[in-house]
Amino acid sequence: MKTKQLQHLFLRAGFGITPQLVNDLSKKNKNKVVDFLFSTTTFQPLEIDLSELSIYTQEYQKNNTFSMEFQRKSNEKIREYNKIWIERLADSDSLLREKMTLFWANHFVCKNQNIYFVQQYNNCLRKNALGNFGDFVKEISKEPAMLNYLNSRQNRKKQPNENFARELMELFTLGVGNYSENDVRESARAFTGYNHTFNGEFVIGKYHHDEALKTFFEETGNFTGDDVIDIILKQEQCARFICEKIYRYFVNDHVNEKHVDELTTVFYKDYNIEKLMKFLFLKDWFYDVENIGTKIKSPIELLVGMQKMVPFSFQNTKDVQKIQRLLGQVLLDPPNVAGWKGGKNWIDSNTIILRLKLPSILLSNAEISIREKGAFEDSFEKYHASNKIQKNFAKVTVDWDFFEESFKNISFDEMKSLFLITAPNEGTETYLSHLSKSSKKEFCIQLMSLPEYQIC
Amino acid sequence: MKRRAFLKQSAFASSLFFVPGFLKAFENVSPKSFGYKRLVMIQLAGGNDGLNTIVPFTNDDYYKSRPKIALQKNDLIPVSDSLGFHSSLLPLKNLYDQGNLTVINNVGYPNPDRSHFRATDIWQTASNSNQYWQTGWVGRYLDAHGSNAYNAIEIDDSLSLLLKGENINGIATQNPSNLFKLSQDPYFKNVLNHYNDEHLSEHNLGYLYKTMIDAKSSSKYIFEKNKIASNNTTYPNNQFANQLKTTAKLINSGLETRVFFSSLGGFDTHANQLNSQKRLLDIYATSIEAFVNDLKKQGTFNDTLIVTFSEFGRRVKENAGNGTDHGAASNVFIIGNQLKKQGFYNDLASLSDLDSNGDLKYTVDFRTIYDSILKNWLAVNDEQILQHKFNSLDFI
Repeated sequence: MKTKQLQHLFLRAGFGITPQLVNDLSKKNKNKVVDFLFSTTTFQPLEIDLSELSIYTQEYQKNNTFSMEFQRKSNEKIREYNKIWIERLADSDSLLREKMTLFWANHFVCKNQNIYFVQQYNNCLRKNALGNFGDFVKEISKEPAMLNYLNSRQNRKKQPNENFARELMELFTLGVGNYSENDVRESARAFTGYNHTFNGEFVIGKYHHDEALKTFFEETGNFTGDDVIDIILKQEQCARFICEKIYRYFVNDHVNEKHVDELTTVFYKDYNIEKLMKFLFLKDWFYDVENIGTKIKSPIELLVGMQKMVPFSFQNTKDVQKIQRLLGQVLLDPPNVAGWKGGKNWIDSNTIILRLKLPSILLSNAEISIREKGAFEDSFEKYHASNKIQKNFAKVTVDWDFFEESFKNISFDEMKSLFLITAPNEGTETYLSHLSKSSKKEFCIQLMSLPEYQIC
Repeated sequence: MKRRAFLKQSAFASSLFFVPGFLKAFENVSPKSFGYKRLVMIQLAGGNDGLNTIVPFTNDDYYKSRPKIALQKNDLIPVSDSLGFHSSLLPLKNLYDQGNLTVINNVGYPNPDRSHFRATDIWQTASNSNQYWQTGWVGRYLDAHGSNAYNAIEIDDSLSLLLKGENINGIATQNPSNLFKLSQDPYFKNVLNHYNDEHLSEHNLGYLYKTMIDAKSSSKYIFEKNKIASNNTTYPNNQFANQLKTTAKLINSGLETRVFFSSLGGFDTHANQLNSQKRLLDIYATSIEAFVNDLKKQGTFNDTLIVTFSEFGRRVKENAGNGTDHGAASNVFIIGNQLKKQGFYNDLASLSDLDSNGDLKYTVDFRTIYDSILKNWLAVNDEQILQHKFNSLDFI
């Protein structure tokens, strides 16, 4: 497989590719490479040590003070969990599963303040990321985090709450305009009584569940929530809705209807996500020039992508939070149930400046060399010396040895191509050619500090 | 006034703002001349308790609902025979006396959301409560009438939805000098100097370059304007006052900025409300006082409109923790020198006829306020920006 194609595949199915992996895989053909991608997708739950929270039993939390104390500690743990999730994205071998988990987290958007529920939900996404979509939706509908987020617990026979039923169809399965208000009302009745115990086990409160007949998509029956989901899956629109979203995320912001049709046909057969993704990555059009280097990296893709090339870790949880907040994407803290819009929406004056400055801030003391060929010193020492705020922005431990080792046999030209999926702007290309290429470390920062590096 | 709405429809729409600002007339009126209208939006974040801000001290329901936290008449600054200002709001009372304050009561919208984040989004995007819009109403104003990021400035480190448009976003800066430094890295300067923009492209890469070019020039422009301007008043020493101080400097510098946005947080008073609200309202009022004085001294108050809102008010009934829970409708303050209807715009809604949550029912849709501001203050097509027809109010 060609290097550019490998880079493209691994940017979309993961967060980029190291020179070693390019080397290992470039001799293989597309089928073998895709097989490799799918051979490394074991499910490993992401877990955090919560033993210090075990004292907060149900009895204990009835006391207001203790309940607030639990809340505070739980929020702290959620921030830690956010940090280890990002670390997981950067070092996991289960590339595709982790990337899909991130995708689903912005599909089945959910937020909760209880770390137990957050962790359980996150692992539900991870476990089902490549599984059967129908089972996935059913599990999601019973997750304590979701039961709270979309008010299923307030959905009772006597006073139905339609929040979950509406979002289930509008955002999770069919898309707006593909169901009636009556469908919302009737399906909400099927989900009445959904609840969970203190420990997060799903239960249906039988006094609150509406047992009567419901009419949904022209079928009438004594439907439960699972029945409603099964009826939704019968609509081809459901497969199309998901395939279009997959296409926008993994292929191109602009949809090619013909390609989405192909995906839909495959997916509608059995809603097998793994099969769908394999089909997608084997398609010739996935590797068309118009689909390579056309997307804007999300803040997380940017941050994790940098770590793939130059491994680094944050010393403080609050620094990771700050960076995500300033870039506009804090994992586990989506803006609303519609999630992050993505694409150009990531970019405004503030985020673009920070995105371009971030690599140097994290990896090289906020300095980007501008030494040109034949020049001996950096004439901007004064500028760099005065940037205290930037230098103290975040505490980071960088593994430059790994970088030096992996780029040992890589030329500066090859480096450029490995860091930038898209050909640089003509003028930028000229400027790069004038730079004194005496240090790969410096060149790495220079490449990462370009608008081109924002593209995947 | 130029309308670019028809241009938005064309294929070149999003490259429009890539044209350097000086080539485009943002408005016919130069910002230094009189009549260059500016809007300052202020959010009291967390949900300010409107009922304890402007207090109905003759209302039995008020005292019955709040046995512990109701404010007594002699603790208030009375302004009418039934309403009194919170004791921290003396500076606002002065503005009221001078005809520079309009209070609009019971502002809200149908099916109010009680989550801070959702309610804030709704207020900032001007959507209905069941819509998830991705542009703010000020952002859409920029889309139609702006040319550079600095046309709308948020005094903060990151940009709120309020200032995000489809094709153009405002810019956020807490400290114009830091933002300037960050954007002026010599490496960026070199890259952008070499950048070949012959093929103005609609593609993402072109968009990134253009946004960076605009960010760099906007932050430079703001920094330089900010450097030459000064404040003529002493401000209290707190972060909110500093935000208004920066805003005043930028206004007085003649910066071509139509909208400024700041927020003051901490109003989520579920517990022990009395002390924290007193402190926050004091910060708010004394900072506003300094800000208005600063503008007055430099002759810019006449063309500045200051609008203060909160994402929701609070429950009428107090809770067990000497605080209040998330509510719905609340009051909005309009401060300016060209107010048509000064003082109270409308009466406080009934405290006995509440919604099913026990919250005030709204009588004024917040978007009718935006509508009036767009039409009567900024003199633009209100319907296009709000994407819906609202009736204007008659306060300005």
